[in-house]
Amino acid sequence: MLPSLVRASHAPLRRLISSFSSPRALSPRLPYVISSGGAGSLPPLILPLCAFSSPSRDSACGSSRGAQRGMGFCARAVDVSDEAPSTSAAAGYDLSAPYLSVRIRCLKQDAEVLSEALLCFGATSVTVDDIADAGNLDEISITSIYADGEDVNSSVSSAASSAGLNYSPVYEISVGKQCDWVATMQETYEPTEVADGLWVVPKWGTPPDPQATNIIINPGLAFGAGEHPTTKLCLHFLLEVIKGGEHVLDYGTGTGVLGIAALKMGAAVATGIDIDPQAIISASENLLLNGLHPNQMPVYLVSTSAQPSSLPNPVDESGENKLINNLDLESSRGTYDVVAANILLNPLLELVEDIVGYAKAGGIVAVSGILVEQVPKVKQIYSTYLDSILVSEMDGWACLQGTRRV
Amino acid sequence: MAATLKDAAARKPVLATIRLIVPAGAARPAPPVGPALGFYRLNLMAFCKDFNARTQKYKADTPMQVTLTAYKDSTFEFVVKSPSVSWFLKKAAGIETASSRPGHSNISSLTLRHVYEIAKLKQADPFCKHMSLEALCKSIIGTANSMGIEIVKDL
Repeated sequence: MLPSLVRASHAPLRRLISSFSSPRALSPRLPYVISSGGAGSLPPLILPLCAFSSPSRDSACGSSRGAQRGMGFCARAVDVSDEAPSTSAAAGYDLSAPYLSVRIRCLKQDAEVLSEALLCFGATSVTVDDIADAGNLDEISITSIYADGEDVNSSVSSAASSAGLNYSPVYEISVGKQCDWVATMQETYEPTEVADGLWVVPKWGTPPDPQATNIIINPGLAFGAGEHPTTKLCLHFLLEVIKGGEHVLDYGTGTGVLGIAALKMGAAVATGIDIDPQAIISASENLLLNGLHPNQMPVYLVSTSAQPSSLPNPVDESGENKLINNLDLESSRGTYDVVAANILLNPLLELVEDIVGYAKAGGIVAVSGILVEQVPKVKQIYSTYLDSILVSEMDGWACLQGTRRV
Repeated sequence: MAATLKDAAARKPVLATIRLIVPAGAARPAPPVGPALGFYRLNLMAFCKDFNARTQKYKADTPMQVTLTAYKDSTFEFVVKSPSVSWFLKKAAGIETASSRPGHSNISSLTLRHVYEIAKLKQADPFCKHMSLEALCKSIIGTANSMGIEIVKDL
């Protein structure tokens, strides 16, 4: 259903505007309570009743990154020629960064239209609880999240009038910190038995079978906690091909789960590479959690550019170490016995030469992170480089493997 | 864990409906996904992986509209729709923000052809398949008017 942004009439809009500009005329149904939830670094958000210009923009300039991320989608959306890579991949992650959470009450019948309107006017997400509120059963609560520094008041009022509401919804703004939801997210992971005698266990969990091969993972903000079908498909692949002593490349290592698993299965060396700094942090931590030495599993941050270069990346920021690391990585091209790349369709297609190039002649390459319906495209591109292609599937996801042509 | 299609038929008790705008192929455990899904203890990583894989066919970073249904048993499903009509209009008109005084001052103009092209794109959306092109066009024109974009026959 398309959101109808046509205002039913102009009258309600004018009424809202006039009530904002004169505090005395302010509708008594529009009180706002501002509570600053645990964000010690922010001064309390005090919004004068007649404000349109939000002082929160001035005072809460703490996380410009947060605001940038919120606005980033809008800005990027309009600039057709903008091919800049996602800024979140380059920047580190600020766990104390605040965001705004707004709890709005409205009539049940208006919830959907208002939700869509809020998204059009700057909210980054809108959630409608189905938990019935104790009080008025005709009303419902919507929680809307905004990037820090957004002008919530004008957004809500614009959304309300755009949705054709003939009343001003009551709302309450609170400030949350990123670490709040990160902590909650961590709690969702449980030990997973990937195969007979092979478990992936979150850092804080106890291995249900101490005798089995247990891979300990602190998922953090990287991908690869063991429960996803693609991770399982790749782990099954490794179980099949690792006989002992191999050099393995985990292309797009995430938490490092595949590299660590390969080492536990008997590989000699596993190298992990990723474009996401979070992954490097996560993989480095996880290899230590599993009693491995960084020499057994070097981890490199690589650039997002698709073209492999024989020279180290000249725009490397962190100086010497990175250059030396990249030299090591470059010189390891064409030497790996096993390459596993669990990423996404488009990078797999663009980077086929890079991925296959790391494998030695006759080495085995497996790619995943693809849906079953995407297999034909992958097969078509990879069959130029790989022989004996095999596809395995699980829950709608697929893994394709083959041997590098000599 | 993400629910599969076969659960769609089952009437599972719903905990919440979450709407977000996420750039195609670029979902990350960060805002807006993080706070919205993390609060309900949904598997963020699985959502990101799934969403990114399913939006590979769109131009990278296109802001897709996502509606997630979180069930009380911690599973979830989601539907991906094309960007909002207002986004298409802004892109077509080459503007960043809609007019602050629609109906009084128009900031840009588009032709019926633009409207038609947008309608065709929208018709591919799961929820718009039943609407006729004419109905879609009328709705788009309405949205354009509310944004201060004038629709003319020819530019």
